Amino acid sequence: MRNAKMMAGTAFIVLAAQTQAFAQEDATACKGKVPTLNVIAQGMPAVTALDEHLGEFNEKWGTEVKITLLGENERRAKSRLDASTGAGSYHVIYIDEANLAEYVSADWVYPLAEVVPKEYDISDFRTDLSNVATVDGVQYFAPFVGGGDVMMYRKDILEEKGIDVPTSLDELTAAIKATNDPDAGRYGWSARGQRGSGMNVWRWTPFFRAKGGEWLKEKQPVFNNEAGVEATELYIDLMEYAPPGVATFNWSDSVEAFRGGQVAFLIESDVFGPWMEDEAKSTVVGKVGYAPPPDPLPSAGWAHGWAVSKVGADTDCERAAAGDFVGWATSQEMEQKRLAAGIASDIGRVSTLQSDAYKALVPAEYIEALLATSEKTSLLIMANPAWPEIGDNLGLVLEELFSGTRDDVKSALDEAAFFAEDSLARVK
Amino acid sequence: MGKLIGHAAMRIIPAVLVVVALGPIFWTVLGAFKELRDIVTPIPKLVFEPTIDNFVTILRNPTIRDGLLNSVVVVSATVLIGALLGIPAAHALARYARRWGDDIQFFVLSLRFMPPVAIAIPFIVIYLDLGIYDTLFGLVLVYLTTSVSTIIWLAVPAFESVPRDIEEAAAMEGCPPWEVFWRFSLPIAAPSLFGALVFTFVLVWNELLLALTLAAQNATLPVVAASITSLGKEVPWGVINAATVLLVLPPLVFIGLLMGLLNSMVRSGPK
Amino acid sequence: MTRKPFAALSLAPAIALLAMLAIVSVGGAIWLALMNRTLRSPDAEFVGAYNFLRLLRDRRFFNALEISVIWELFTVAGTILLAVTLAILIFETVKKPIWRNLLCFAFLVPVLLPRVAAAFIWRFLYSPSLGVINYLLGLVGIGPVEFLADPSLALVSVAVVDIWQWGLFFTVILLKLLETLPRDPIEAAMLDNARTWEIHAYVTLPMLKGPIISLVLVKAVESLRSFDLIFVMTGGGPGTATETLDLYAYQMGINMGGRISYASAMSILLLVVTTIAFTIIWKAGRRWAN
Repeated sequence: MRNAKMMAGTAFIVLAAQTQAFAQEDATACKGKVPTLNVIAQGMPAVTALDEHLGEFNEKWGTEVKITLLGENERRAKSRLDASTGAGSYHVIYIDEANLAEYVSADWVYPLAEVVPKEYDISDFRTDLSNVATVDGVQYFAPFVGGGDVMMYRKDILEEKGIDVPTSLDELTAAIKATNDPDAGRYGWSARGQRGSGMNVWRWTPFFRAKGGEWLKEKQPVFNNEAGVEATELYIDLMEYAPPGVATFNWSDSVEAFRGGQVAFLIESDVFGPWMEDEAKSTVVGKVGYAPPPDPLPSAGWAHGWAVSKVGADTDCERAAAGDFVGWATSQEMEQKRLAAGIASDIGRVSTLQSDAYKALVPAEYIEALLATSEKTSLLIMANPAWPEIGDNLGLVLEELFSGTRDDVKSALDEAAFFAEDSLARVK
Repeated sequence: MGKLIGHAAMRIIPAVLVVVALGPIFWTVLGAFKELRDIVTPIPKLVFEPTIDNFVTILRNPTIRDGLLNSVVVVSATVLIGALLGIPAAHALARYARRWGDDIQFFVLSLRFMPPVAIAIPFIVIYLDLGIYDTLFGLVLVYLTTSVSTIIWLAVPAFESVPRDIEEAAAMEGCPPWEVFWRFSLPIAAPSLFGALVFTFVLVWNELLLALTLAAQNATLPVVAASITSLGKEVPWGVINAATVLLVLPPLVFIGLLMGLLNSMVRSGPK
Repeated sequence: MTRKPFAALSLAPAIALLAMLAIVSVGGAIWLALMNRTLRSPDAEFVGAYNFLRLLRDRRFFNALEISVIWELFTVAGTILLAVTLAILIFETVKKPIWRNLLCFAFLVPVLLPRVAAAFIWRFLYSPSLGVINYLLGLVGIGPVEFLADPSLALVSVAVVDIWQWGLFFTVILLKLLETLPRDPIEAAMLDNARTWEIHAYVTLPMLKGPIISLVLVKAVESLRSFDLIFVMTGGGPGTATETLDLYAYQMGINMGGRISYASAMSILLLVVTTIAFTIIWKAGRRWAN
């Protein structure tokens, strides 16, 4: 009981504070007043590469930045519990495309422009990532990794079979079937099958959208319509040409199967592109071609980034230090430092994509595919605080269909949609 | 002839079982020295160019050191306090509490029926009020439920198997009850207590959910280990293997010490 | 000091501490279960028994209950069978203390692995295309077996990992217990020309009844909380084929839905069901042991 009251109290104070414009505290006034700056994150290269530069920031603010690294699931659970119970252990929290809507509707994060100093040009973030970080025209997190989809294919296999790079979904389907040869340990396709809003649903959604599917109509779930059924049937059909066990593959299984040389075609998040060219980890270096997903498949946009927590950074100095940290850690200079260290996978800014340092590190063909894809990229999932739950439940019935536990596509989707109604009704 | 075959089978079957049981461990150790390219192959590789990169990655990671330190503090405090409170209680239950003994023993076990998910939130709320959220003390406190109850539960049968005549004889000679417990019952029961202590140790050492929810900066090893399983979007199989190999060593050392301690206790006990 | 005060003194601190912690956790869970608290917003209303009534209409909850029961049976029976078999085999065949101790240490390793890491390792071992198990099966012409993707195999496959971890550990405990048994009854049986298995079935194991029952119950309690292992290996899938109650509670309460009150109600129901089931088993076991 006591806690409910306490948290209501905090919410009130936060509201009161919001009505007055934030006085931008600067580093000199706050130096030493924030002994530790606590940050929660996943071990993305953009995060781990910060380590050697932290001294600079610590010096400026007289603070000690402590970055807690967790895996994706633990990170989601932890940061949400932390904000929800009012514990506020973290000044800077790590947000992704799936939970932004929830964090904004629960009022756990500051709008980026209110806390990040102007010199870290917010408008320089890649538009595709900023869009994912934005709710109702307000950007909440500073993205440092993300992107859309890319189609990866084995140039050597296509050449051997005399197949052109597919440019339509039908051509892709035909090419997958033509390149499938299980006896030789080679499969035409791979995809995510494991349940989860960020797993099978993530890869299923472009198919759903390609068939003209919409999530909601007049605020009611309608993804159990014709488009949903057709997309699911095609997805299941293509899985016939994938490595065994695909029904429960996560992205790692899928990408490793491709990287291990077993798969001819793969549509995955574009960040996996540079993985194929890593000598120490890939057996297909130099054999991979990159292209945009064939029409009408759109590309699923995602982004991860940092935001300043209202629950954690509730004093002026904490907010200022946390905002400066977010700007500093995702700045243009920091991205250039990463490129100089040979890390090409996490790019959040347009200026970095256009820089010579970046072009020197990745294949030209990959950049071309990225640029060609970017206009097809958008947030394909439902932008709703209830999405994690709805997506998870949809993923569950999809996995049941993939693994053959049930075979009636329509009734499975009906069930997921029915459940979604319940979830949506709880969002006030 | 039949006897000979039987004899051979008695040798071979355990050998096979042991190999099967330990195969995954062997494979993990191999994997720890492999580059990812050698791990992700359709045909498993027994011969490869070993690398120590995976271990370097782990040892360079400062959170592992902190996690190890936190885990050592939390687990030793929990097991120690658990033993101090639990072992005498178990002895009392086994010897003195006739009517309520069974019920208390069952109550103790039932404390662990609820999934930690439900426990996490009430504890976060209370810990925030008490100011012990995200402290090692807070973790020890909540783990005491596990350690005290498990030690009591497993130590009661150990004390029940101590022959009553020994205790009664000692009491007849005028030993006060605490001396009977300390000089006679405890040393005799010690080898059986080994299981209880190690079991408790294992439970607390591997606890993930409460450690994740009740601590933030003071993460213990299971939380750190969970975070190693994904580096960015990549699952670093080699690093996971190496981390596993390294993280198993400290508890093995602890158990080795415990075994030694118990052996010496047995030896110093009455014959 | 006489017996009674000494007994009270040794019991009181432990019981007081446990009671305090129990009140906090059970009380807190009941309080949450009667509200409609979600992680998304701190406002919550009192909803009475709504969460419990909704659970009774929740297909997934009953599925999870069923999976939990199967999981309990598999893992507990598997662990104890493996442990008893291996302990006796080693007790009979490995006589040198040094070898025995080495084996004990090796058998302790699986249970000391961080669960999440162990789950990842086995996930990889089970992989149909990259895993060594399927490679070996392929050599003898079987497979590839989709251990984790086949709904009828997935639960068993995950249970094997649990049994591997705990069974080997229990082997060590049982071996230690066997070593502490008095030699006289065993030697008497040997003089009667009893076979080795007869000695164990009729002499040694009955002597260890009490400890074994304790171990069974403790293992059963541990099996109630296996979400970390299952979560990494299958996430509860395919579909809901491996979704146990504690995993479902985790998914609903913390991971996906954030319906913390609903998860608490589930936990309370689980507490009630297990208390009833375990009371019956425990009373029966106690009677059998005496």
